Amino acid sequence: MEYSPEVVRRFDSTLRAGELKAGSVGLVSGEAEDRTLGVWVRFQLQVSDGIVRAARFAAFGCPHTIAAADCAAERLEGTRASEIEALDVRAIQRELGVPVEKLGKLLRIEDALAACGRALPKP
Amino acid sequence: MSTEIYLDYAATTPLDPAVAAAMRDCLEHEHGNPSSQHAAGRRARALVETARAEIAARVGAPAERIFFTSGATEANNLALKGLLLTASSLARAGAGAHLVTSTIEHKSVLDAARALEDLGVAVTYVPADPLGRVAPGDIERALRENTKLVSIMHVNNETGVIQDVAAIGSLCRARGVRFHVDAAQGAGKLALDLGSAPIDLCSLTAHKLCGPKGIGALYVAPGVVLAPQVHGGEQEHGLRAGTLATHQIVGMGKAYALADPKREAPKLAALRDALWDRLRVVPGARQNGDPQRRAPHVLNVTFPGAEGESLRLALRDVAVSAGSACAADSPEASHVLTGMGLTDALASSSLRFSVGRFTTYPEVERAAAQVTAAVGRLRAYASGAPAWCAT
Repeated sequence: MEYSPEVVRRFDSTLRAGELKAGSVGLVSGEAEDRTLGVWVRFQLQVSDGIVRAARFAAFGCPHTIAAADCAAERLEGTRASEIEALDVRAIQRELGVPVEKLGKLLRIEDALAACGRALPKP
Repeated sequence: MSTEIYLDYAATTPLDPAVAAAMRDCLEHEHGNPSSQHAAGRRARALVETARAEIAARVGAPAERIFFTSGATEANNLALKGLLLTASSLARAGAGAHLVTSTIEHKSVLDAARALEDLGVAVTYVPADPLGRVAPGDIERALRENTKLVSIMHVNNETGVIQDVAAIGSLCRARGVRFHVDAAQGAGKLALDLGSAPIDLCSLTAHKLCGPKGIGALYVAPGVVLAPQVHGGEQEHGLRAGTLATHQIVGMGKAYALADPKREAPKLAALRDALWDRLRVVPGARQNGDPQRRAPHVLNVTFPGAEGESLRLALRDVAVSAGSACAADSPEASHVLTGMGLTDALASSSLRFSVGRFTTYPEVERAAAQVTAAVGRLRAYASGAPAWCAT
């Protein structure tokens, strides 16, 4: 399997892998998995005043999944919480040079973010 | 300077300098076609026959029963198809000529078997037990009246488990069934005496033994008739057409002459055990395959919770495999490990380490340290993951 330099860079130096402090105010979490594809992703978002202040991910998956989750977490920070489900994973796939056959795994990122969206407090 | 640590000798090996020198000498000075009758041809023929004798001596076979091929893959194909696709068996294919093999064979045997199935040959795939052993009793129970061939590998290429080919061969002899052994992984590393073993066909290769790629051989016992699968000349007594690759054959002969299982196997086993001593402290790490019955150079370890593809990228400076190199492009988990009962997740979280002639203890220590760090990092990434990721 070949990996783009950006995938390797993010895989080697993930900046947003890990967990946010449990129990803190405004923490929402969502996860998704596809056992047949061997992938699980979880996002934790710190939301205040309707803005994602911090994002962290955890993942069991291939390097493309980890790199894409890291990229997604980075992009979520500073966005409106109401827009987290609008994150374009296909754009991340293209930008990172992830092979199209890995898209099924990356779409679990969308599913996890959708779960985060559902966990947001209702206005 | 390369920082890569090469622990993938079961995939292929570096060329021994003495082999390279012999091949270079042949390439530079002996251009004759071994089939030619003039002096240059006769010199090349002499080199070929010397190599044939060196290989035969290492495996305890008469030299005239060694037939050169392009490698073990071709030898496996020739053995299976050559025996089962003779004119007589083709005529009986409708009645179902029968082949017995195991689920954990090399892809070159399994794919040849599937091709034979397409031609009407019935195939029974005998499973391995959780330690990667194929039980002779299971082979015996799979035999039928019309079984023509049993094909079982000597040493499994992914786990290093040694199969009981003596027992399987004996029961085949008792039932009048031909027995083929893929010895690509074991020849030259373990003692093998084809002169006394109940083996009818045996595939050999050079590149697992510090010889060149692209050359192998098939041992064919006296009285065994094979249909050629490559046509176009009378080379190798008509069994395998094509100009003999003299320099490759010289390299294979030298590799087999240099191989010394009695001297080398203890050294390889010590290196393998040193590696395991350092990896066994990784929480949850476990060996795959029968630890009491395995070749000295292979160590297969599962690291639950560390996703396989990510583990391989994290270890890109350590040359190891996640199964057979011949199946490395496949995204599927190892058929050998799943055949032993591992889940897809555990099979894909497994690495095959294989040491060889030029492996050093400092390399083993550095590799173990890198593996330990990579597994820890990936498990941290997967903190909170569901149980299936690690079971």
